[in-house]
Amino acid sequence: MYNINPEHAVGLIGGLVGLIVALGTLRLHPQWRSVPGTVRAAAVLMVVTAGVHLALIPHHLAHEPLTSALFLLNGLAFIALAVTFTWRHWRLASAGLLIATVIGYLVYVGAGLEGPDQVGVATKLIEVTALGLALVPVRGETRRTHRSWRWAGLGVAMPLLVVMTGATVWIVDLARPDPRHVHAGAVLQSTNTLPTPAQVDAASRLYHETKAAIQPYEDWHAAWAAGYRPGGSNSLPSSHWMNQKYVDAGYVMDPQRPQGLVYANTHHGPVLLGAMFQMKGINQFGPDPGGPLTAWHQHENICITPFGFEFSLMTPFANCAFGAIDISASPMLHVWIVDNPQGGPFAVDIAPSVVAALDRT
Amino acid sequence: MDTTIHESSRPEGAFILLLLQSIFWMVAGLSSLPFGLAGELHMAALGLVTLMFALATCLLGIAVLWRRLWARRVALTLEVVCVIGSALQLLLPIGANRGPVALLVDIVLPVAVVWLLWDKKTRSAFS
Repeated sequence: MYNINPEHAVGLIGGLVGLIVALGTLRLHPQWRSVPGTVRAAAVLMVVTAGVHLALIPHHLAHEPLTSALFLLNGLAFIALAVTFTWRHWRLASAGLLIATVIGYLVYVGAGLEGPDQVGVATKLIEVTALGLALVPVRGETRRTHRSWRWAGLGVAMPLLVVMTGATVWIVDLARPDPRHVHAGAVLQSTNTLPTPAQVDAASRLYHETKAAIQPYEDWHAAWAAGYRPGGSNSLPSSHWMNQKYVDAGYVMDPQRPQGLVYANTHHGPVLLGAMFQMKGINQFGPDPGGPLTAWHQHENICITPFGFEFSLMTPFANCAFGAIDISASPMLHVWIVDNPQGGPFAVDIAPSVVAALDRT
Repeated sequence: MDTTIHESSRPEGAFILLLLQSIFWMVAGLSSLPFGLAGELHMAALGLVTLMFALATCLLGIAVLWRRLWARRVALTLEVVCVIGSALQLLLPIGANRGPVALLVDIVLPVAVVWLLWDKKTRSAFS
């Protein structure tokens, strides 16, 4: 949902073309100046969304003729409404088409017929904006018809459609992640599918070298003395302790100098779970000696707050809570020295049951 | 649709955009709250602040609709701050998302509100 499906990129061009065409031609309508600016803006936005839908037809035509036909009907209907803004039932027809289009998209995404992406979400935002502009009553209208209904429709439909869009896109993205997304907010390095014997040996070597190198840090005082400092609240199940000197130096997968250590926050103090190697730059995945066994991962679109080094996920509408900013963390690779039954020694996460068991002992 | 008009509908347009912005912030606030359950108390607190801000933005939109002069000033200030903050986030090399949704929500929307409320003719409609 945070990326543009390459096959949908043409939709952005279609939308821009629609915008230029709308701004250039709709003003030639003889009654353009006789309607409120909100109606004119809604008409322009409907041509934009028409442009997006029409541009997507060629790609879908071969494999999804029904979808292409719906895109064609949708695009033509939006254009027809955009040029008939003086029609008596224009608001009702526009609201109906806009609501149906947004719900239709959500049904497609929910049913797995379409993957949620930036082009889809952006188009829905334009349609919801057009809906609000089409419905909002304006001062000075000579025909003050159905104003209370329009207010009610606007007050209910806009929040509902935005929340439904966000929830559907988010749920689908989490339930059916991209193959490279192992969990929310993390993207895995591309590797071969099955490890070769040489890669298995290399992964084993990395594991044993790292485990031996960080053994002294089982006593957290030693880690502190070496320059590792905890980040985040110690009320969380585990904490990453980072060594800024090693981060700045940019050591690459050096078992003697891992950029981070991970400790479980147990009632009897920090218990070492493993090490974390981190690359210096975003999108620069590190060496991958174990192939799929030692794939690095990068956290993208996470909202991080400097207050206690805590994070959440960016919404589908590209927002974070106030005080948090959207960032991507440079690629990292964990080496878990405790048994991690769910994902193994190089998994993105440690199983919560492992941390809970350590806390009980 | 016989809608000959005498007044600018820019405040109504700005109201719609402010309402949208408040809904986006409401979603951001709500989505932060579950992280509080996982022990991220600061994030939960920020989520609550964001929800309060979303409510305030919605009320600000209504005040703009009612053509209150103070609301125009506050909305302009808010959106200029939003544009500057978003531009910094997008320009700094911190890996922030630069997709079309981020550009629409964080840049185009606040710039559109500023454009709608800025000119003198619109200002004269506020009291």
